[in-house]
Amino acid sequence: MLTLALILFPALTACLLLLTNSGTTRQLAFGAALIETALAIYAFSTFTPNATSQFGFDYPWIPSLGIRLSAGIDGISLLLTLLTGILVPLIVLSTFNRAYERPGTFYALMLFMQSALMGVFTARDGFLFYFFFEAALIPIYFLAAMWGGANRIPVTFKFFIYTIFGSLFMLLALVYLYYQTPATTGSAHSSAIVDFYKLKLSASAQGWVFWAFFIAFAIKMPVFPFHTWQPDTYVESPTPATMLLAGIMLKMGIYGLIRFILPVTPIGIETWGQTAIILSVIGIVYGSIIAIRQRDMKRLIAYSSFSHVGLMAAGVFSQTETGLQGALIQMLAHGVNVVGLFFVADVIYSRTDTRQLDQLGGITRTTPKLTVYFMIIMLGSVALPLTNGFIGEFLLLHGVYSYNHYLGLAAGFTIIFGAVYLLRMFQKAMFGPTTARTESFADLTLSESWVFVPLVVLVFWMGVYPQTFMKMTEPAVANLMKYIGTTAISMK
Amino acid sequence: MFPIVLLSVFAVVLLFLGFLKSRSVLLPATLLFLVAALVANFLDWNKTYLYFNSMLRTDNLSMVFTAIVLLSSFLVVALSGSFEDDEAAQPAEYYAIILFSLVGAIMMIGYENLVMLFVGVEILSVAMYILTGSDKRNLRSNEAALKYFLMGAFATGIMLFGMALLYGASGSFTLAGIASYASHAQQGLSLIFYVGLLMLLVGLLFKVSAAPFHFWTPDVYDGAPTIFTAYMSTVVKTAGFAALLHLLAASFTYVYSFWGIILAVVTAITLIAGNVTAVYQNSFKRMMAYSSISHAGYLLIGLAALSAQSRQAIVFYSLAYSIATISAFGVLMLVTRQRGMQTLSSNPLSNESFDAFNGLAKQNPLLGLAMATSMLSLAGIPLTAGFWGKFYMFSTAVERGQIWLLVVAVLMSAVGIYYYFRVIIAMYFRDGATEPIRISPVFRYVLVAAIILTIGLGVAPGLLQGLF
Amino acid sequence: MNTTYVPADYLPILIQMGLALGFIVTTMLVTHAIGPKRHSVKKDDPFECGIPVQGDARTPISIKYFLIAILFVLFDVEVIFLYPWAVNFKGLGMTGFIEMVLFMGLLLAGFFYIIRKGVLKWE
Repeated sequence: MLTLALILFPALTACLLLLTNSGTTRQLAFGAALIETALAIYAFSTFTPNATSQFGFDYPWIPSLGIRLSAGIDGISLLLTLLTGILVPLIVLSTFNRAYERPGTFYALMLFMQSALMGVFTARDGFLFYFFFEAALIPIYFLAAMWGGANRIPVTFKFFIYTIFGSLFMLLALVYLYYQTPATTGSAHSSAIVDFYKLKLSASAQGWVFWAFFIAFAIKMPVFPFHTWQPDTYVESPTPATMLLAGIMLKMGIYGLIRFILPVTPIGIETWGQTAIILSVIGIVYGSIIAIRQRDMKRLIAYSSFSHVGLMAAGVFSQTETGLQGALIQMLAHGVNVVGLFFVADVIYSRTDTRQLDQLGGITRTTPKLTVYFMIIMLGSVALPLTNGFIGEFLLLHGVYSYNHYLGLAAGFTIIFGAVYLLRMFQKAMFGPTTARTESFADLTLSESWVFVPLVVLVFWMGVYPQTFMKMTEPAVANLMKYIGTTAISMK
Repeated sequence: MFPIVLLSVFAVVLLFLGFLKSRSVLLPATLLFLVAALVANFLDWNKTYLYFNSMLRTDNLSMVFTAIVLLSSFLVVALSGSFEDDEAAQPAEYYAIILFSLVGAIMMIGYENLVMLFVGVEILSVAMYILTGSDKRNLRSNEAALKYFLMGAFATGIMLFGMALLYGASGSFTLAGIASYASHAQQGLSLIFYVGLLMLLVGLLFKVSAAPFHFWTPDVYDGAPTIFTAYMSTVVKTAGFAALLHLLAASFTYVYSFWGIILAVVTAITLIAGNVTAVYQNSFKRMMAYSSISHAGYLLIGLAALSAQSRQAIVFYSLAYSIATISAFGVLMLVTRQRGMQTLSSNPLSNESFDAFNGLAKQNPLLGLAMATSMLSLAGIPLTAGFWGKFYMFSTAVERGQIWLLVVAVLMSAVGIYYYFRVIIAMYFRDGATEPIRISPVFRYVLVAAIILTIGLGVAPGLLQGLF
Repeated sequence: MNTTYVPADYLPILIQMGLALGFIVTTMLVTHAIGPKRHSVKKDDPFECGIPVQGDARTPISIKYFLIAILFVLFDVEVIFLYPWAVNFKGLGMTGFIEMVLFMGLLLAGFFYIIRKGVLKWE
């Protein structure tokens, strides 16, 4: 039932917000998001760390087809629901110093988005997953295209067409899997995800299904060479939308890899996994190198995010327990860090009207608070020990390395390059002589500080005591690994 | 059966109501008649009857199709606004013709005998020729009517020839008789049987504007008054597909290997022709014409597969498609009327271009929402009924194993998103000089109902479960 | 009684048609061939009561003529249905009578409609 509340509550409050259009809309949205956070934390704290799906609900949806409204939280979903629950109020709070036109619609769309994201991460039925997967796209598209930058229309349109195109192939794969499930009496087939796991598909069928899923998720994450929509979209979107996109939405792709590709198509991975992992590693290196050359802060963070996601995908495809565990932890860590970084860019932009590193400098002089927060989050992204990024990246690299040494080595560049571009960004923006634009730079306001505080707390918490989070996911990951192992072996 | 009788009588009554001084009674009367027919339709629910010496049949499927057709006409008639802004219009005649044409549509849905199918097609078509040309002073309307008439008459001729050949081969006009002849397919059937089936299919495919018999569609849809375009693109299509489904399922399952592949190829051509051409249109109305061709293609997927799911798929798809199309045309009518008054532009085409929608949503949130919902539904995005329609269609094809057809359909869906979203982009993200458009209460109710139905069916597609 | 016919059984009809057609064609050809011909300007002119020819023969005619012609055909054809009914009047009995009354009622409604519409009004 808790899952149902997590999904429905934001959607219902969003409907109410649509009717309001006053100055208090943002407070209402923030309040609603806080309640959702409380729900997510409550779920997290009462979760029993084992491999079962908890707090679930299950109703018939299309009885004649055996499609059910079924959702629940297991170890893999748990961290992502927590992430969604924590980030959304911070994103709402980050908009408090900005007046957006038609706030009712703006915040309603954000909450609709949250509702759909919760649905994606908890769905236990294949078609329900697809339903939310697509439903999440509509609010973010409108957010980006209505409140975005000058070039928003073609850019967001490209983003939309690109992602929809990919997910249509996933729909094909889902329908195909659905018809492969054995027909039970009463209902035709079953679309429950666990029933997909039990399928014994032929090698060629697994290959096709693998690619159908992979294209959908690779576009969402994005993995090289499906990433061309990403930098432009991140730059043109208003910052809250960018935070939603980078912080939470791209996790949908990784989550999909773990949820579908690994258990459903083990042979497909054996055949094509290497291609996928090579593409991911290319993305890591390619994204880092481009990030080094960027002058626009937002674009730089976009490429850094592209590079980090490549590492997570590579970790998942390594099919090792550490790789998977690392991907799960890193999803949480990356969500926290990237939202922090984008917010820093937004704070700077709101005061100087520019995101070009050439035009910035010397901000530290007037801003002790911003400097500290920025540095902590930046170091988290660089994966310094004792910060959240370290744990995830270490596990991921370990996983990739045990899969293939050379690939592991190449993926290791992410840390070195990451240090290069992030430190360069920090130094160019914060140190050096002040410019005309940064001369009278005001430090963080109260609401802005309150966005950073929870993020910084999480950075340290996950870095110092990751066990809080890892013990929740371990049983589920072990279970998944067992599953991959048994399926693969029984097929041989 | 009841709707046929009722509608015939009501149509005659409507003609006489037209002699009253006031036009205002016509619209409520027509709506009332349609509701009465809808209620009467369900009197036979869960029973199967044969009427008129086994010429017509009513069962749950035919009643559901009849209900969709009646619901669509109800919405269209409600949107017509009694033609109050047009002095030369003759609403009594228009409404009467619509009711008469519904009789034809219901015959096409419930026929058991090919003669009945022919009569139904003719009643519907002749009514459509008249409605297409009803804007007498407009040259384009005249051209459209003449074109439609010539091509339509030709297609009907081919269809009739096909029926005659089928009769020649099987010695029967009834579906059951033809089925029993076709059941000997193993021993080999006469060649004229196949030729006859092919010609009959060509005739019907013409009516539902499937490629390569679609060339009349854009001109006719474009030239006809918008309200009748909405009627044509929903009622005629639904009735046509109901007829095709019944024909193929009842009589020709034994020779599936013959027509299945033909229909699959026609489906692929229709999808490609409709979607790709729609991308290049600048007029919204023409885009909708090509979009209706592409939707004929999606509906054909269910026919070409003809699996256990097909009925459900076609019923759901026609419903979703009809609602979305009617609401889109409704918004178009309001917008063109507004622009027509504003600019008095010499070029009537410019009122129907995509630019006419620029900035619409800012001042008219309801119109924007209605249009956006229909576009999303037509594009098949989740949360709308159109998604489940496509879902059902795709699953029929998977059940048959027609994966190549599905890949075409998926690619074309992606193309479809491109042109449907042009409207959404124009409405929400572009700036345009728009004052709020005055919306009459009836319009408001219809649009709200369409939005609720589309989203309701999109969230809970199982609601219609009991109906199939 | 023999109920199946082969095409050969229709031969007499064909022969009769051939004879009828042949007679007309032959008569026309023969009169054309043996008749005397004297051409002159006046004789080759279209004959119009001795008045000089004016204008084109294809003048627009009022649509009313067509309407009346169409309506005539319409009602004329419908009335044909009365004949088979009349022949079977006894056999069809009361049901047939009621059906015919309905049919005539509809026909009359249509007739009334066109009168009210003013289709038959000339000016």
